[in-house]
Amino acid sequence: MKYEPKALIAEVTHRCPLHCVYCSNPLEMQRRSEELSTADWISIFQQAGEMGVLQLHLTGGEPLARTDIAELVKAGRAARLYINLITSGVGLDPGKLDALIDAGLDHIQLSFQDIEEGPANEFSGTRSHALKLRMAAMIRERRVGFTLNMVVHRSNLDRLEEMIAFAEQSGAQRVEIAHVQYYGWALKNREALLPTRAQVDRSIEIVEAARERLKGRLRIDFVLPDYYAKYPKPCMNGWGHQQMLIDPVGQVLPCHAAGVIPGLEFSSTREHPLRWIWEESPAINRFRDESWMPEPCKNCDRRTRDFGGCRCQAFLLTGDAAATDPVCTLAPSHKVIEDILGQVNGAKQNWVYRIDPI
Amino acid sequence: MTQVGQESVLRLAPGCRLSEAGAREDLLLIPEGALRMQGPARKIVELLNGERSVREIVEELQHRYGTEDAARIETETLALLTRLRERGVLESV
Ligand code: SF4
Repeated sequence: MKYEPKALIAEVTHRCPLHCVYCSNPLEMQRRSEELSTADWISIFQQAGEMGVLQLHLTGGEPLARTDIAELVKAGRAARLYINLITSGVGLDPGKLDALIDAGLDHIQLSFQDIEEGPANEFSGTRSHALKLRMAAMIRERRVGFTLNMVVHRSNLDRLEEMIAFAEQSGAQRVEIAHVQYYGWALKNREALLPTRAQVDRSIEIVEAARERLKGRLRIDFVLPDYYAKYPKPCMNGWGHQQMLIDPVGQVLPCHAAGVIPGLEFSSTREHPLRWIWEESPAINRFRDESWMPEPCKNCDRRTRDFGGCRCQAFLLTGDAAATDPVCTLAPSHKVIEDILGQVNGAKQNWVYRIDPI
Repeated sequence: MTQVGQESVLRLAPGCRLSEAGAREDLLLIPEGALRMQGPARKIVELLNGERSVREIVEELQHRYGTEDAARIETETLALLTRLRERGVLESV
């Protein structure tokens, strides 16, 4: 089987002015002095375009922390990619936004931590909420694709209706409501972030009603917390199937979190052509087909739909990256999840904030 | 409001565009990925300039593709535009 890459997630820097308690960056971040150069990224985008990649997601850290960001957008467009900027909005101003749009930026995804200023600033560890509101107003005045991203968890989920109402009048075409996924910094804060089952059920009802009401006006993408699911998510639509992530120093990973899996060596664009890494490198091929699968996945009908779930989650919760994702109710290790959910309570935890790399 | 009729005037929503000419496939690039533009779909979307009405677009297509299939061109064009409008890929002007 041939795997055709469709999307490239480019973590152009791990530097970020925010300190979100659920940041998906690895706990060990790449330093500024080691980051790829402008020319390195331009070469990567050209190679990706030639390989048939359609979408480029510029993310970080905060991608605006790179002074060459407009140049990167332009190079991505020249490579015939659709360019999405995933940003906190911090570092944006009217001049910069115009420059990005002139360079060919297709779409901006702006994150919000909450709808109320106090908690929003608490979750991001910065006073950034008011600024984000101004950025949203600035984006809506321009002709560029605009999605709001709202990460939800136990401490803000009860304001979901207000969040959707905000999205409705924000000028965005889409809102992504994403329950926290427990990797990276979020795993460290899981006890405080994990919602109750009642909250999750309620969030599903709210989103369904809102989708009906807002049809054709505002699209709602919804990511459910997989701890409460019966079967795992088809993580990244399969390891090494459609998407790749390149970190600030050029390592090519199948997803945000795979760096936690011991024994995997990720090949670098500094040493190999991108096509070779995608097609041949050991790490991208490690869980690509079904040969690694244990029982019950090996003989399960759902394996072509969910690919046995997430390898990183399997490692983080069972210590074995080649185990069935414990989220699956058929997994021998599923009790791990039941125990975690059994302990969900309202107790306040002290947040562990994301630290900025040097 | 999202209904598409003969007098509707539509254009691509921000963040949606056709793949450049010469790309390996005719695609409509959108924030979530890409939609394949089969048959005359690309031509139909190209005609949406935020000024022409759906009626004018249908007439243009009938003129181009011959009038014996006039009714079919009309229903299929309306169906495609309705689908794209509901998906948020098109906006009304
Ligand atoms: S047993 Fe494996 S393939 Fe089957 S649903 Fe569970 S994770 Fe998916």
